[in-house]
Amino acid sequence: MKENIELINVSKEYKDFKLDNINFTVKEGTIVGLIGENGVGKTTTIKSILNMNNPKGSIKVFGKDIKKYEKEVKEEIGTLLDDSYLSEYLTAKQINFIMKDMYKKWDENKYNSYLKEFKLPSNKLIKEFSSGMKMKLKIATILSHNPKLLILDEPTSGLDPIVRNEILDIFRKYIEEDESRSILISSHITTDLEHIADYIILIKDGKIIFNLPVTSLLEEYGILRCTEEEFKNIDEEDYINYKKEKYSYNVLINDKDKFKNKYNLKTIDKPTIEDIMLFYIKGDK
Amino acid sequence: MNTIKALIKKDLYNLSSYKVSIMIVVIFCSLAIISTGSVNYGPIMISTIIGMSSLSTFNYDEISKANKFILTLPVSKKEIILSKYILTISSIIIGGILGYFLSIALASTMNLFNENKIDINLMRLLYSTVGGLFGISLVEAIQIPSIYKWGAEKGRIQMFAIIFSIIVISAIGFFFITKLNVDITNIENFLNNYGIIFLIILTMIMYYISYKISYKIYKNKEE
Repeated sequence: MKENIELINVSKEYKDFKLDNINFTVKEGTIVGLIGENGVGKTTTIKSILNMNNPKGSIKVFGKDIKKYEKEVKEEIGTLLDDSYLSEYLTAKQINFIMKDMYKKWDENKYNSYLKEFKLPSNKLIKEFSSGMKMKLKIATILSHNPKLLILDEPTSGLDPIVRNEILDIFRKYIEEDESRSILISSHITTDLEHIADYIILIKDGKIIFNLPVTSLLEEYGILRCTEEEFKNIDEEDYINYKKEKYSYNVLINDKDKFKNKYNLKTIDKPTIEDIMLFYIKGDK
Repeated sequence: MNTIKALIKKDLYNLSSYKVSIMIVVIFCSLAIISTGSVNYGPIMISTIIGMSSLSTFNYDEISKANKFILTLPVSKKEIILSKYILTISSIIIGGILGYFLSIALASTMNLFNENKIDINLMRLLYSTVGGLFGISLVEAIQIPSIYKWGAEKGRIQMFAIIFSIIVISAIGFFFITKLNVDITNIENFLNNYGIIFLIILTMIMYYISYKISYKIYKNKEE
């Protein structure tokens, strides 16, 4: 499988924050989720991939250096960047006329069929749309030039569960249509990522904490709920982090089966991605 | 080139919501020209209104965080800036041409009904048009880099500060010229003979410098 995104030692320094030597790849046919608290570097990573913040290090998209082939590469990318868009004072019809000149491969028919599918009026000002409709229009806009890669920053934030599901379905359908496509998606809503992502990257203080397949996070990780005495018997290298509750300890472990065999402890719960993230961010070692 | 066209289209669509307001202001300007008979101010007023309206596209961009989105598209920062300058310069020129012919049309219509005929001196009107275009171009050549540096709202305040400084420096310069009895006859003669060409060249240089400054600012700016 080829890599649609490859980051090697990518750094970006601001006055009060540093994205520190980030390395990861997004392979063809995969959806990679970026998670982490606010301000840890998710958007900075995305901006670096798009060459919007003059980062250090090597960034290749479709095997090409983004700094050298920026325009060419961006012809093949569709991006949603938080709440930015062309203008709220345009209509969906006018967006089509603009984008026709913007992209060489803009597919007018595809755009119009998305408008129809999403039930979006073509002559109404965007500012009169609901937030779900606005997001759907943005999605129609970024999909209608048949991009090979989608980069999505918080695409489902602020939307109700029904619209969120509809949007996740669109992304699922997009990736299923062509095996060479990929999606890099940052989201606070980790349940969305559980449903859609193949890999999860957790970022904390500008550094990658882990980059793992969702299946291994959900199947191999576990949360042990035990007493203080039981906790004291566990070797430090056998768990990731723990959280002390009032009368018990919650312990995050990354190899349930091995742990069960070694300690003969049965009450190990299946974690969610949010649980794992919280342990890594708020837990103690 | 197509991407520049796309960006200009986006700005024109944004501005289309201004069309009624612009028409109303043009009608008011026409009434002002009719009531005062000051035909020469027509092109200045109209090019100012249309030229300044084009700068409101920066406000639209700021509200929608459009530049952040645009930078994810296959378009360079150079093209983004170039599209703004093309739009601004074109709107000033269109405003000037519109103002020139509207002034002639208004004066001619008034002369049909009035006994006190207005003198329509086409050359003087052309001088006034080019002078007006130069004035508004100077303001915009300062304002665009200011907007790129400080944003659409703050940039306006900084622009007024810069223009005020220019006026003060010019006034001081003029004060010294008169105080020191410098002979400016040659300069006056030059302006009378080559004024229009001189202003056009000066405007072009001004915009070129302004574009270079805007690009330098925007190149290093992160949206």
